[in-house]
Amino acid sequence: MSLELSMHTPPEVPLEAELLTPDRTVGMDSNAVSGIAIQHGNRQVTVGDFFTVKGKGEGELHLEGDLSRVKHLGSGMSSGSLYIHGDVGEHLGAGMSGGKIVIDGNAGSWVGPEMSGGRIIIKGDAKHLVGSAYRGSAVGITGGEIYIHGNVKNETGHGMRNGLIVAGGNSGDFTGVNMLAGTIIVLGEMGIRSGAGMKRGTIISMHPTEMLPTFSYNCDFNPIFLRLMLRALQSQNFNIEDKQITGKYQRWSGDSVEMNRGEILIFRE
Amino acid sequence: MADNIRTVKHATCTFCGCVCDDMELTVDMDKKVITKAKNACVLGRAWFAEHHIEDRPAAMIDGKEVTVEEAIEEAAQVLAGAKFPITYGLSDTTCEAQRQAVAITDIIRGTLDTTTSVCHGPSGLAFQGVGESTMSLGEVKNRADLVIYWGGNPAESHPRHFRYAVTPKGMFIPNGKKDRTVVMIDVRKTPSAPVADILIQIKPGKDFELLWALRAKVKGKKVDPKIEEITGVPLSTINDLVERMKNCRYGVLFFGMGLTMTRGRHFNSGALLALATDLNEFTHFVAKPVRGHGNVTGADNVVSWQTGYPFGVNFSRGFPRFNPGEFTTVDTLSHGDADAALIIASDPASNFPKAAIEHLKTIPVISLDTKQTLTSKIAHVAFATATYGINTTGTVYRMDDVPIPLRPAFDSPYPSDEEILTAIRKRVHELILSRRGARGATGEAKVASKQVL
Repeated sequence: MSLELSMHTPPEVPLEAELLTPDRTVGMDSNAVSGIAIQHGNRQVTVGDFFTVKGKGEGELHLEGDLSRVKHLGSGMSSGSLYIHGDVGEHLGAGMSGGKIVIDGNAGSWVGPEMSGGRIIIKGDAKHLVGSAYRGSAVGITGGEIYIHGNVKNETGHGMRNGLIVAGGNSGDFTGVNMLAGTIIVLGEMGIRSGAGMKRGTIISMHPTEMLPTFSYNCDFNPIFLRLMLRALQSQNFNIEDKQITGKYQRWSGDSVEMNRGEILIFRE
Repeated sequence: MADNIRTVKHATCTFCGCVCDDMELTVDMDKKVITKAKNACVLGRAWFAEHHIEDRPAAMIDGKEVTVEEAIEEAAQVLAGAKFPITYGLSDTTCEAQRQAVAITDIIRGTLDTTTSVCHGPSGLAFQGVGESTMSLGEVKNRADLVIYWGGNPAESHPRHFRYAVTPKGMFIPNGKKDRTVVMIDVRKTPSAPVADILIQIKPGKDFELLWALRAKVKGKKVDPKIEEITGVPLSTINDLVERMKNCRYGVLFFGMGLTMTRGRHFNSGALLALATDLNEFTHFVAKPVRGHGNVTGADNVVSWQTGYPFGVNFSRGFPRFNPGEFTTVDTLSHGDADAALIIASDPASNFPKAAIEHLKTIPVISLDTKQTLTSKIAHVAFATATYGINTTGTVYRMDDVPIPLRPAFDSPYPSDEEILTAIRKRVHELILSRRGARGATGEAKVASKQVL
């Protein structure tokens, strides 16, 4: 039996609930989970003050209600499944190393910052700094997968070191900025200045975009890894047309102010 | 002519970030007005001349006059009872007052932010991300032979900035402006343009692309030949500028809000700082933001040395956390997070986004300001305070992080920001200690008993 939490009192100020993860609640009954400490603004409160808890912790955690003011959910989790039925606040899955997070609604900024493993699936939109480095940190995510079916905003994959980020909709500016390695796929329109300062890594876009003056065009080709990757995404209900799988992609290399070993692939009609 | 005239030499103007400290003020002590401000620029003259002692209560609660003590008690109760209190402003007051504001925010576990977050905050992020090759304006005076202004209009915003960086004769610049090359890079021809030897007009919003192209050229890399189409600046101009930058003896890049508040924000500042860093392979090159408010640089310094971060600092957990975008005031207000606000020497109610102002109107606001503002009008507790530099002494930082003492002209009947904030700090400390004492339990024990604080 899984653990089910539903919000009974909306918080007046943001809640920070980094202890609420499927792996940390394994073996806990509803009373024990109700007593877990969470932060309400500058006061420490308990889960029971805001949530009704049912079931027993067996590695699967369901959260229900408007969680758009609940931050740090799934932070640092290493295993299990976290399902959120509704919108969720910032810092979702920050620094997670394993397990799965599935969101039915939208997420705030900082989805999976500096994560090293695991999978985050968001059915709606996310905001800025998806899979990014925190301010002051040079390295973003070092592993794991983030799938967002809707749109994302600026600085997606900032400082990314490894892993995969997929945006089904549009992305904002500075996609893959300061990227060190890894893969970002944007199926919708990509904003400007993508790949600024990237050292290595791959950014793939299905629509033409404005390139920085420090990127240079190499060739048109159809990389095999992309076919496999797009077919895998198709099976996850991402809207991918067959011509995108078989068609050619422009390869641009950059960023020449850095190592010039990154690539941006742009689908050619 | 009145008899009771006082002259204040070496007074400091705190209007803009230049913090010129060579003012000579003539003060009519009977009327309490400054009749003349020698050496001041047009903005400084207005700053000194328009300062009068206003006839308004020193403290008000919900628009009704109260004693300062009653207002301090009410302010302390509001702040100590709040779950997500925010402190904002701080750039137009002394470092001594700023220290007290940091202490208050720490004690009440609030969120601290300064007006930096809406002006050069992106540059603060860029310093952290890229680093800063920095200097004092004295160095620029004595050494700089290439001065570049990017995205700013100092002739109108900082009229005396040129006396620090363009016109002065220095140790290695014996002929002043004749020995310097001044480059102005902006989207339009501003009143600063006549100062420039080279004027580069760039397409709006293309600063990052031009900076990136300059970086590539400095590193000897190829640049997209369509660069003129993209940025509006021909490749030959870029090449010429790069040669000048590489071959100068001491170059300086001053940048304004044309970079920080346009699309790209902290990446624009970061690109410029990275360009300065790149150029240090060839010559000595530095970069400096041209700061606006009188002591906004002091706010950055004080908040940095007290918390470790320059702005957007949260103490909810009892230790400082830095996250611009989450803990900056526009965000905490627009998201409806804040439940009380301490606003010091700033007027967010007149210049913030609508959503933020709407939320500000719904929460108790404590305001400290020398003049009546929209924020003080909507404030639950409003203090009228003395003006720094004119009525109170203290320390302010010039835009190059040089601390400068203030020499006040005449006394004000109102208390200073520092006095009010010190009293609030003492009172909130008492309230928080008594609350913890009454609770009589550690955090863990409280959680165990599920008692809400």
